[in-house]
Amino acid sequence: MSTSTAKSDYLLLFRGNVWDKGLSPAQIQKVVSDWMAWFERLKAEGKCIGGNPLEEEGKVVSGKQGRTIADGPFAESKEAIGGYFYLTVADENEAVEIAKQCPGLEYGSVVEVRPVAEECSIRQRAAEYSLGQLASATA
Amino acid sequence: MLLFRGPHWDRGLSTQELQAAMDKVMGWFEGLNERGKIKAAQPLSGQGRILSGGNGNLVVDGPFAESKEAVGGYLVLQADNMNEAVDIARSTPMLKYGITVEVRPLLAECPIFQRHPDVAQRARDRAVRADQLLAAAAA
Repeated sequence: MSTSTAKSDYLLLFRGNVWDKGLSPAQIQKVVSDWMAWFERLKAEGKCIGGNPLEEEGKVVSGKQGRTIADGPFAESKEAIGGYFYLTVADENEAVEIAKQCPGLEYGSVVEVRPVAEECSIRQRAAEYSLGQLASATA
Repeated sequence: MLLFRGPHWDRGLSTQELQAAMDKVMGWFEGLNERGKIKAAQPLSGQGRILSGGNGNLVVDGPFAESKEAVGGYLVLQADNMNEAVDIARSTPMLKYGITVEVRPLLAECPIFQRHPDVAQRARDRAVRADQLLAAAAA
């Protein structure tokens, strides 16, 4: 039972969504079942508040005013993000311990563990500047 | 889901330029929010870890923000279709400063099932059997 412990949020990003290559249907079935059971267990424990697979189709927008639009798919890349879990846990160690349970790791998946920030660091920098301006204006 | 890649878009901007850019970003975000387009959004801290290998024993520590590919934040859109999602992605003010926006539809079901219909069928059969067992137990 947690009492006053502050929780932290982490995003698990699953990269390399071609772990099924070379596996038999029975092996794939096992990894998928294990993965779903893992997700359901984390949700039941209140440690995961959501997650989704991402479609392999998609677009990449870049350039001024988003002039450049490239098409997915993303499945071929080992770096591509195939899905995510949103975790609410005690600390980074717990997030890493959970990430280590990912059933895809054995078949080449990579799990990125990223703390969710309360506020954008760039916004903080801009806010500090505003405060500085205000301070010099009122000095 | 929009994934914002290239978290260091503020580099090379004067604090004044940054302030103006940030005002635009916040205005853009608030506008989308007022239109009911945002289901979730969060910046990610540059810290974190990447796990790979069986049991996730290979651990690389962050920060990851140095890379142009690094994900600096995400936004889950409530969009009617891919076109609307891409239009919103193209309106991202940070594009002007060199970020890229990856637009990825969220799925309810793992895309592995699309590649392996036999596995998907077995998973469905299993779910049906579970329902039958539950119904039999309840009867």
